[in-house]
Amino acid sequence: MSNNIDNNQNNVDITPEVNTGASEKVAMAKPSGQSDTLKKANKNLKRRRAISTFMRYFVLIVVGCIMIYPLVWMVGACFKQNSEIFSSMNPIPIKATLDGFKNAMKSYGGNINIWKAMLNTYSYVIPMVILTVVSSVVTAYGFARFKFIGHNVLFALMMAMLFLPQVVLNVPQYMLFNEFGWIGSDFYLALIVPTAFATETYFIFMLIQFLRNVPKELEESAKIDGCNVFQILIKIIVPMIMPAVVSCALFKFMWSSNDFLGPLLYVNTPAKYPATIFVKLSMDSDAGFDWNRVLATSLISIMPNILVFFAAQNQFIDGISAGGVKG
Amino acid sequence: MNKLKKFGKKNIGFIFIIPWLIGFLVFKLYPFMSSLYYSFTDYNLFAGMTEGFTLQNYKDVFTVPVELTALKTTFKYAFMTVPMKLVFALFIAYILNFKLKGVNLFRTIYYVPSILGGSVAIAVLWKALFNDNGLIRSGFALIGIDAPHFMSDPKWALLMISILRVWQFGSAMVVFLAALKGVSQDLYEAAAIDGASKTRQFFSITLPLITPVVFYNLVTQLVQAFQEFNGPYIITRGGPLGSTTLMSLLVYNNAFTGYDMGKASAQAWVLFVILMIFTMISFWSQKHWVYYADDEN
Amino acid sequence: MKKRFLSAFLATAMLATTLTGCGESEDKTTEATTEKATTEAATDAGSDAGSDDGAADYEECTIKFDWWGGDSRHEATQAAVDAFEAKYPGITVEINFGAWSDWETAKANEYLSGNNPDVQQTNFDWIGKYDADGTTYLDLNTVSDVLDLSQYDQAVLDKCVDVNGGLAGIPVSVTGRTFYWNEATFEKAGLSTPTNLDELMAAGPVFKEKLGDNYYPLVIGEYDRAILVAFYLQAKTGQPIINEKNEVTVTEADFKEGLEFIKSLEDAHVIPTVPYIDGEGADSMDKSQRFINGEYAGIFEWDSSPAKYVSALGDNGDDLVVGNVFPELQSYSKVSLMFSISADTEHPRECAMLLNYLLNDPEGAAIMANERGIPESASAYATLEAAGTINPLSAQAHTEVINSDPLYWNPLFDSKVLKGDTSVYTTVFEQYSYGMDASGSAYDVDKAAADLYKGYQDAVAQ
Repeated sequence: MSNNIDNNQNNVDITPEVNTGASEKVAMAKPSGQSDTLKKANKNLKRRRAISTFMRYFVLIVVGCIMIYPLVWMVGACFKQNSEIFSSMNPIPIKATLDGFKNAMKSYGGNINIWKAMLNTYSYVIPMVILTVVSSVVTAYGFARFKFIGHNVLFALMMAMLFLPQVVLNVPQYMLFNEFGWIGSDFYLALIVPTAFATETYFIFMLIQFLRNVPKELEESAKIDGCNVFQILIKIIVPMIMPAVVSCALFKFMWSSNDFLGPLLYVNTPAKYPATIFVKLSMDSDAGFDWNRVLATSLISIMPNILVFFAAQNQFIDGISAGGVKG
Repeated sequence: MNKLKKFGKKNIGFIFIIPWLIGFLVFKLYPFMSSLYYSFTDYNLFAGMTEGFTLQNYKDVFTVPVELTALKTTFKYAFMTVPMKLVFALFIAYILNFKLKGVNLFRTIYYVPSILGGSVAIAVLWKALFNDNGLIRSGFALIGIDAPHFMSDPKWALLMISILRVWQFGSAMVVFLAALKGVSQDLYEAAAIDGASKTRQFFSITLPLITPVVFYNLVTQLVQAFQEFNGPYIITRGGPLGSTTLMSLLVYNNAFTGYDMGKASAQAWVLFVILMIFTMISFWSQKHWVYYADDEN
Repeated sequence: MKKRFLSAFLATAMLATTLTGCGESEDKTTEATTEKATTEAATDAGSDAGSDDGAADYEECTIKFDWWGGDSRHEATQAAVDAFEAKYPGITVEINFGAWSDWETAKANEYLSGNNPDVQQTNFDWIGKYDADGTTYLDLNTVSDVLDLSQYDQAVLDKCVDVNGGLAGIPVSVTGRTFYWNEATFEKAGLSTPTNLDELMAAGPVFKEKLGDNYYPLVIGEYDRAILVAFYLQAKTGQPIINEKNEVTVTEADFKEGLEFIKSLEDAHVIPTVPYIDGEGADSMDKSQRFINGEYAGIFEWDSSPAKYVSALGDNGDDLVVGNVFPELQSYSKVSLMFSISADTEHPRECAMLLNYLLNDPEGAAIMANERGIPESASAYATLEAAGTINPLSAQAHTEVINSDPLYWNPLFDSKVLKGDTSVYTTVFEQYSYGMDASGSAYDVDKAAADLYKGYQDAVAQ
C-alpha cells in the first residue's frame, strides 16, 4: 500500500496525498522553485524527523545495552579471576584467566561432567522434539481439516488445556509415572513418552492457526486424483506448513533443554543428570564458591541454545508471530 | 455395513486425533481429576491416607500464614511482572516499528534474553548480579545510590525475581511487532490529515487495533507468571522471610519434600481456580475492549 | 582421651582374636596384631572380619551402592569400591552418588517407588522417616556373620534400631558440634580464640572496633542457632532437649531465654543478623566470600565437616583451628550417618561383604579414610590411627565433642516440622532476627518463643 508514512518526507515533490503529521499543508508540487515558507516548513520537518529518529535510536540503544549487558558481563566474568569478578562493572577482565573454564571441565568423581550432562540433555531433548512435532502435526491436521463426531467438544477441551497450569498436574503425574515405573528411568521415559501424545497444546494451536491459512484447493485436487487422507497429510500439508513445523521444533528444543523441574523430579541418578541439573549441582557440591567456574559452567550449558537461536533466528520470530497474530 | 462404512468415512479425521486423545485422557484429565480427589484427603506419600473427605487443606490455604502469604505473593508477582513486561514489550515494539537501520539486530538483542532466560544458567547469573557484592549494587554505588539488599530485603526480593521475567520481554515484543506491522498505514495517514498528533494516533488507532494481540499476550503471560518456579527456586529458595515463595514453590515443597500430596493438590487447585477466574474475566471483558478485524464495529 | 585408648585397645584385642580365626580366646599380643592390622592384609584371606572361609563363599552378582557427599568423599569411596571389586572378582558394584543438596528428595522418590539400591548411605533420621515399619532396611543382625558388628560399641548400635528391634543401619560415625575459629582473624584483632562464652562476648565489640563492622567472631545460620539454643538449654536443665521418651524437657519460658541469648550475641556484634547473612546469597558458609575472606571468623559445625571449610579457605586453610565446646553449653552427639542394606535386596550376603570391607577391613577402611567422620568401627579407627591418616582437625574436633560429655540426641529434633526450608527453625530464627514476620508485622521474642515451643510440641506429637 502506501509508503511508511514516517520515512519519506524529505522531498516535497511527491504526490500530494501523502502527508506529514502536524498541520502542514502540502501545496501542489511545483516542478521548480519552492516558496520560502515551504522551505522553512521542510527544514522544520526535517529537524523534527531527525530528532524523532535520534530519539528512537537512543532509546533502542540504551535499552538494548541494558538488556544485553548481563550476558556480556557473564561471558567476561568467566574469564576473570575470582577476586576480580565483583570488583568492577567492566566486563573485560584485567587479568584474564582460563581457570573458570578449566575447573568447569571437572567431573564429579568421573561420573558426570559438563559434556556428559549436555549429552544427557540432548539424548532426551531430540526424541522429545521429534515426537512432539509428529504428534502435534497429526493432531492439528485432524482438528483443522476434518469434522468428526465430537469435534467441537474435543476442540474446546484442547484449547482449554492451554490454560491448565502444569502445577496442578505435577503431583498426580508424578504418582502416575511412579505406577508405570518411570521414575528414575534410564531412558527418561517420564519426560519422553508424554510428548508422543501431543501434550504441548501450544504447538497444536500454532499449527492449526497456520493450517487455516493454507488454501484447500491443493488438497481438493489431490483428493480428486485419488490420494487418501494420509497421503495428503504427508505429501501436501506437511510441506506447506514446514515453516511452522520448524518453529515448533525449535521452540520445543529450547524449552526442553531448559527444563529444570522435569528432570529434578524424574531423574535420580547423577550420571544421568542433564545440563540444567548439572549446573545446579556444580553450585552445590564443590567446597568454596568459584563464581568464574559456576558462570563458565552455566555459559557452556547454554551455548548450544545460543548457537541454535542464531542459526534459526527468523524461524523463531516467524513462529512466535504466527501464534500470536491471527491470519 | 454400508452405514458403518459411511460413518467411518465421515469421521476418518478422528484417527488423527487419537494420539492426542490418549494423551489428554492419561496425562491431563486423569491427573487433573485425581489431583482434585487428593486435595480432599490428607494423603501423604509415606504415611498413606488417614482421613477421607476433608476440607482442611483448602481451609489451610486461606488461614495458615505461610500458605496465605504464598497466595498473596503470587498475585503480587503476577500483577507486577505481567504489566511491566507488556508495557516494555509494546513500547519497544512501537519504537522498533520504524524503518531504522539494524532493526533486525535490535530485535535479536531484545529477543535473546527470552531464549536463555528460563534456564538455570541465567538464574545463577541473577544471583551473581543481585547479591550484596554484585553488579547491580556496585553500579548504583557508582552513582552514589545505596541500592536495596535484594537478596535479604523482603520488600525487594520479589522485584528481583520479577525483573528476571521482565528482562525476557522479547517474546512478547516480537508478537507486538508483528501486530503493529499489520496496522494499515492508511489509517495513520488519514488521522494525520485530520490533525491528530502521534500520541493521539497511538491511543486511538494503534492500541485499539492490536487489542487482540494484547489480549493474547496478557492471557499467556498471566498463565506463565502464575506458574513461575525456576527463578525463586534457584535464586532465593523462597526468599527472605518467604517473600519470594510463590505458590508453585510451595506446592513443590509440600509435595516433594514434605510428601504431603493432599495439601499440595489443594494448593495447586486454589491456584488453578483463581487463574481460571482471571482468564474468564479476561475472555468476558474482551467484548468491551478487544477489537477484532472481523467485528461489525 | 581415655575412651579412645580403651576402644583402640579393645579393637586390637578383637582383631587379634579374629585373625586367629576362632573369635573365642582373647590374645593380648597387641604388638603383633597392630602390625598385622596396618600391613598389607590383602593376601591374608582371614583379614576379612568374620570367618576365614566366608569371604570366598559368595555369588557373582551386581549390586547397587549409593552415597552423598563432597568430591573428596566420592573419590575415596570410589577407590574403595574398586579395591573391593578387585579383591572379590565377580561382584560388580554399580555406584551412584551426588551432593547432599536435593539428595534426600531423590532418595525419598526411590523409597516410594520401591526400587532403592542394595547398599546405601543413610541418614540417621531416615529410620523414622522411611523405615517407620521396619520393612525398608534389612536387619543387619541377619548378616552379622559377614558384617562384623562386634567392631562397634553396642550402645551406639542400639541407637540405630528400627521399630522391630532390628538393626536398620550401621553407624559409620558419631558426630557432634563444636566451634572452629579463624585464628588469623582473631590475631589481627589482637585476641586469642575464645574458650568460653565470656571471651566470645568480649570479642564482639573488639572485632567491630579494631577490624570493622563487617567482621564478626562467629557466624551461625538458622539451624545452627536452633542447635546452639538447645545446647544452652541443655546446660541449664542437664537433660537432652528431647529425651528418650520423646518429651520436650524445657518450657516456653526456657525458649524465651534461649532466644534472648541469641539476640544478645547479635547485639554484642558477636554474630551477624540473618538479613546480613542472607544479603550475600551464599547457599552455605563454605561458599561465602565473607567466610573465605576471614570476615566471618568462626563457625559452629559438626566434627566431621571441617574439610570443606578448610578447602574453601584455600591457601589460608591452616587458619582454621578447632575450638572447644564452651563450658556454659551442653552438647549432644548423634550418629552422623549410616550404611543400610535394602530389605528387598537379592544379595544380602554380598552387600554385607561390601559393607564389611568398607567399614571394618583395614584395607577398605584405609582407603575410605575419615571422609565420613571418625569411624566408629574399632578396626577402622585402629587402621587409620596407626597409619596416621586421621584428619587432625576432625580428630581434634571429635575429641572436643567427646570431652563435653554429649547427651542423647532424639531424631525428632530434625523432624520435618522443625527442620527444613519452611519449617520452624528457619522461620522462627529468621523472623526473630529480622524482627518481623512474613506479613510485615512485628515479631518479638514472645512470639518466637511461642512458635518454637509449639514446633517442638508438634514434632514430638507425631
